[in-house]
Amino acid sequence: MIKGQPTSEPVQKPPIGQFALLPGLAMLLVLPLVAGGSDYILQVFTHALLLATLALAWNILAVSGSISLGHAAFFGVGAYTSGLLSLELGVSSWLTIPTAGLSAVAIAVLMWLFCHRLRGAYFALATLAFVEIPRVITDNWDGLTRGSRGLVGLPGLPGLRLGAHHFDISASPTGSYYFVLGYGLLLLAMVTLIFRSNLGLALQAIREEETAASTLGIQVQKYRLMALLLSALFSGITGACYAHLVRYIEPGMVYGIHFSAIPLIFAICGGRFTIIGPALAALVLYPLDQFLFHPLLPAGHEFLYGAVIILTILFLPSGFWGQLRKGHLVSIKTGSIE
Amino acid sequence: MSLLRLEALSKKFGEHWALKGIEFALEEGEIVGLVGPNGAGKTTLFNLITGRYKPSSGKIWFEGKDITSCRPHEIRHFGISRTFQSSRPFAKMSVLENVVVGRIFRGEFHLFPHPTDIKTALQLLELVGLAHKPGAVAGELTLSEQRRLDLARALATEPRLLLLDEVVAGFSPLAVKQAADLVQRVRERGVTLFIVDHFLRLSLRVSDRLLALDHGEKIAEGKPQEVMRNREVIRAYLGVRHDDEEQSAEGMEHGGQAF
Repeated sequence: MIKGQPTSEPVQKPPIGQFALLPGLAMLLVLPLVAGGSDYILQVFTHALLLATLALAWNILAVSGSISLGHAAFFGVGAYTSGLLSLELGVSSWLTIPTAGLSAVAIAVLMWLFCHRLRGAYFALATLAFVEIPRVITDNWDGLTRGSRGLVGLPGLPGLRLGAHHFDISASPTGSYYFVLGYGLLLLAMVTLIFRSNLGLALQAIREEETAASTLGIQVQKYRLMALLLSALFSGITGACYAHLVRYIEPGMVYGIHFSAIPLIFAICGGRFTIIGPALAALVLYPLDQFLFHPLLPAGHEFLYGAVIILTILFLPSGFWGQLRKGHLVSIKTGSIE
Repeated sequence: MSLLRLEALSKKFGEHWALKGIEFALEEGEIVGLVGPNGAGKTTLFNLITGRYKPSSGKIWFEGKDITSCRPHEIRHFGISRTFQSSRPFAKMSVLENVVVGRIFRGEFHLFPHPTDIKTALQLLELVGLAHKPGAVAGELTLSEQRRLDLARALATEPRLLLLDEVVAGFSPLAVKQAADLVQRVRERGVTLFIVDHFLRLSLRVSDRLLALDHGEKIAEGKPQEVMRNREVIRAYLGVRHDDEEQSAEGMEHGGQAF
């Protein structure tokens, strides 16, 4: 990207380059051909990709230093908005999914009003409590949301009509898989742009030293708000995709602690100071959980996440991708670096 | 017109006056040392000027404009920057990124740093002697390197007035001398400097004038040698000798616990 002067400093090369990811990407692209026979494998990876997008979206806020335990609020509102619009009004999910993102932004503005003065653990706890607001409303406003009965029989992910050809994505697991993969790659590009831009520099500066950041002219609250809204937008879109993928949602599910905790687990394990680390962790840990630990320990398979987070915090505080890419996480390069 | 003028500036924390009725003016191009024992109010004064604290009363004028109620990011746009007593690098970011952050938030928003911003940042690293490690992680620098990074980052905002808070604390005599040279070079760039310096190691070398505070009040200002001979200043720093005590009974309430 932007090049500075070349430097003579011996640069500490990370043990792993970005290109190490290319085989992984290639595998994701051809997975439906390889696993063509098994819908289950495809479904697991579709889910893993979806959780990867949630982790990426969560990390947009986390890069500013604000750890949220309330992203289920955006996920759930996104899922319900898209679900209700398509069920009640029959709107195409091409429209309901972006609308879901916007509704999550609206909820994020509300969250901002409650939480913007808080930092650190206080912010995290306030966001955790905040999820109860949309959950209780959704649970009890029977007339609009059908309450705790949930939404059943949702239409699948949107199809694509090209001239005479109609690709019904929802009809095949392969179609759904590629849809989520496409969204994931788009979001990854978006997050890369955010991290590498001046916005990303501002957010990192705020995370590291808020006082110094404001002294250098950064409007701390404005940038924190921008990060929250962008994070909420994509979390809402992910929630909507989830609704159309699973085709059944209920309040306890989409507003559950699961969808608040899982992006945090993936981000911390993968490396929350990296762009792609959170997504990588999702793509590794979720299939591991489903293929290996679920058959072994049907009742307690999620212990994997607990164990992984403890081990990461103890031994790899910057996450596994962060560790592998150590000394390489700068967005402005100085000549020979990267 | 003075560059910076403090008018009856006071700050009260609870029942305690951290600063009381400070009157002072800095002229363009000066280096002024702000001295005084622990708790004299030096850092509080910096925090008031940079908008981190709001004064309890009084006014702050910068180039004839009232900046008393401005917020920190607004103060930056008027042309005031600072370093911190304990240096505060953006620890996980690179040395170069730290300085670029000082450059790029100038009001209008750009999506990416302009190449000239990066060039200027590299030049500033050159100035402070960090040009050889732009890609290093800021949190892994030595104390003296972090202080110099702080300085480069503050200079990146192109300040008219730069407040330095204890830049040489913990430095060896040689490092103090190098810091003094650096401060002179900064002055040559047209920057006015206001330097907090508890032990006077830097300010006696470089300052044109000193402002001495004790218990939140101004006790002296003037040429360094005059201020250092001032009885109040000596009393604030060194306490009162026993045989002097009877002659200056009113010194009792201030003396004793300097340093």
